[in-house]
Amino acid sequence: MFAIFALITLLGALSVAFQKNLVIAGLCMVVTFFGVAGLYLMLSNPVAAALQIIVYSGAIVVLVLFVIMLLNAHEEEAAARTHPVQRWGSAAAALVLAAGAVKVVLSSGFASAMRPMDIKGPMDLNRLGIELFRGHLVAFEVVGLLLLAAMIGAVALVKKDL
Amino acid sequence: MTSLTPILQGNLQGYLMVALLLFVIGLFIVLSRRTLLIQFMGVELMLNAANVALLAFARARGNDVQGTVFYLFIIAVAACEAAVGLGLVVGLFRLRQTTDSDRADALKL
Repeated sequence: MFAIFALITLLGALSVAFQKNLVIAGLCMVVTFFGVAGLYLMLSNPVAAALQIIVYSGAIVVLVLFVIMLLNAHEEEAAARTHPVQRWGSAAAALVLAAGAVKVVLSSGFASAMRPMDIKGPMDLNRLGIELFRGHLVAFEVVGLLLLAAMIGAVALVKKDL
Repeated sequence: MTSLTPILQGNLQGYLMVALLLFVIGLFIVLSRRTLLIQFMGVELMLNAANVALLAFARARGNDVQGTVFYLFIIAVAACEAAVGLGLVVGLFRLRQTTDSDRADALKL
């Protein structure tokens, strides 16, 4: 199961990287986010999986698709100038980073000694709510203010004459 | 060299591998594509990769409540970032009629 979800996640991300049509790229993002939600389920954390589906594949991708359709930008614009160095440089950097990351993770005794699966029961909202409102109440309120500020900022950025 | 079976069954190494590869793919998207909306999707993928690693570590350390609380705060900040970022893209389109990051060069010397 883990391998299937991991494959869904990585293939979705790769198809975003090579997709020319922006709307289809957005839908590939949904696939990726569902794969990540599946990974959270495999970590026996259904709360995080539900949040992932609601917030990312629900809200954020819909926002992106709305902007794509609002700007009528389904197709990529023709390049102002070509960047062969940038393209191959980024591909090489990504490959080197990926190889290094895989090597580090594989050779890490710390990571291979730990097993995420065999601890306690699944995450539940009860424990999460107690922890959130007992230990992190101020941060919770600050996050509410931050969301309000971001909303006002987004409106101020987009509105024609304030 | 360890065998691949525990990784494919999803031990901590497997999750970290997926998180790092997802991060690298997001970085590749940001570096190699020119369309601002696609670059934005790349940033979201990188953020998700960080979340996967966070929750995997939280589970492995046995305190996934704290990890999930942090995850909640992270997606709140990500939602703010999405709103403001897309607002900037719409503002740029209104100013320049483009969503190409190469054509947004007003601050370039």
